[in-house]
Amino acid sequence: MGVLVDFALLAFLATTAIAVVRTTNLFAAVMLAGIYSLLTAGLFTVMDAVDVAFTEAAVGAGISTVLMLATLAFVGSRVKTPQLRITDISAKVPVRRPVFPLVVVLVTGAILIWGTGDMPAYGDPANPIHHHVAPRYLEESEHEIGVPNVVTSVLASYRGFDTFGETTVVFTAAVGVMILLSAMRRKDRFGEERWGEESVPDLFRGFAPTFWLGQDGRMRAPPSQPGEEDEGGTP
Amino acid sequence: MSTVADVLSWGFLLTGSFFVISGGIGVIRMPDLFTRLHCSGVTDTGGAGLVLVGLMFQGGLSLVTLKLLFILGFLWFSSPVSTYALARAALAGGEEPFWAEDLDLPPSARIPGFSPRPVPGEGEE
Amino acid sequence: MSDQIILRVATKIIVPTILLYALYVQFHGDYGPGGGFQAGVIFSAAFILYALVFGLRRTHRVLPTWVVRGCASAGVLLYGGVGLASMVMGGAFLDYGVLAHDPKHGQHYGILLVELGVMITVFGVMVTIFYFFAARGREDL
Repeated sequence: MGVLVDFALLAFLATTAIAVVRTTNLFAAVMLAGIYSLLTAGLFTVMDAVDVAFTEAAVGAGISTVLMLATLAFVGSRVKTPQLRITDISAKVPVRRPVFPLVVVLVTGAILIWGTGDMPAYGDPANPIHHHVAPRYLEESEHEIGVPNVVTSVLASYRGFDTFGETTVVFTAAVGVMILLSAMRRKDRFGEERWGEESVPDLFRGFAPTFWLGQDGRMRAPPSQPGEEDEGGTP
Repeated sequence: MSTVADVLSWGFLLTGSFFVISGGIGVIRMPDLFTRLHCSGVTDTGGAGLVLVGLMFQGGLSLVTLKLLFILGFLWFSSPVSTYALARAALAGGEEPFWAEDLDLPPSARIPGFSPRPVPGEGEE
Repeated sequence: MSDQIILRVATKIIVPTILLYALYVQFHGDYGPGGGFQAGVIFSAAFILYALVFGLRRTHRVLPTWVVRGCASAGVLLYGGVGLASMVMGGAFLDYGVLAHDPKHGQHYGILLVELGVMITVFGVMVTIFYFFAARGREDL
């Protein structure tokens, strides 16, 4: 009975993925991507990974959909390039027919599926992965850490370094978005709009020593000797 | 778990599933966005509500029941609001409803006591 | 959309519920599914809902950009700070056992603070990215 649920979820997943690729209305594609995330969350729940399912549902079906809709409000919801079928022999529009990428994808997929034949059975207790550190975490977590949720204890305590790196990665994503999206539209200190120029203060205020900032808000080279004084100016 | 609670929970679960399935069929078969919204609203409120009540019976009287009650309250509160927001956004975006006189119904199929609303313009979807 | 009384009233009732639920997920991550990442995302979803219904300008008044950016970095600092604090107390980096009188209590404190740091960072990052995405094409924000 559980196999039936797995099968249904995976079939829906494949259908939604194909629908996302084939639809020409970007709004529908965004909604289908949200459905894809919800189905993946369902799959994770069926696999007994409720923490991961929770995160996937919140991020994929929630935040990601909202951000893509915000982008659509700016971009418009029609696909601009014509979608040609693979069997369009006489195309009046000179668009490349994607035969070679399709062959590459099919061959790679076939090799990967053939490679899964060598993998051990799903959930088999004799798998090597269940004999490395997992037994120690599961057995020792109760009296070493005392937190009932083993996922939290592994995430925050046993693998605390990894979570630290994850948090830093999330922070770097925000910094990347700030740099990418704020370079398009800048207001300098006098309120004028400058396009395409990055001025440092708004991004790095608080991170860079401010005595290296010139009068017009651009960074200048730090003095080569400590005693050398330099008035602010353009670099 | 007693037989009565079992039977009740199964009854609620099956009724809720029927509402969900009929809502899903309606979303595909209905001609217009607004009628489809009505069907998805049935799925959200009636279907999910009955399924949750059935699950409450399955869980017995415990903290799970209270949590499911909160989920039910939140669902019944937010789902009609989101349906309303969607319908209003569609109207503001220029989506025309599907009027009854767009269908070529024979006189025998007309609803007694109902006369189609006269439209100023085309009135097609 | 703020002239819609239904949406306004519903948002005013739903947003505190979402915030409370996010805190519940955060602090019950020890006992059930949850933790910092989920809580941060749900917490930011409340503010995004507020922005969708009441407009981006009012949301900027409620939650200014500098607060959100500060949150994004404050969470990482909190996490690193816990590690440094455990070094100051005599253990290794991120060794929670030395944070309290008892290793188990130390683990509890450490996990609590660390997950709080994760939640603050994820909240700040999500709202920052939303602010940037929603302000594209608008000259006034």
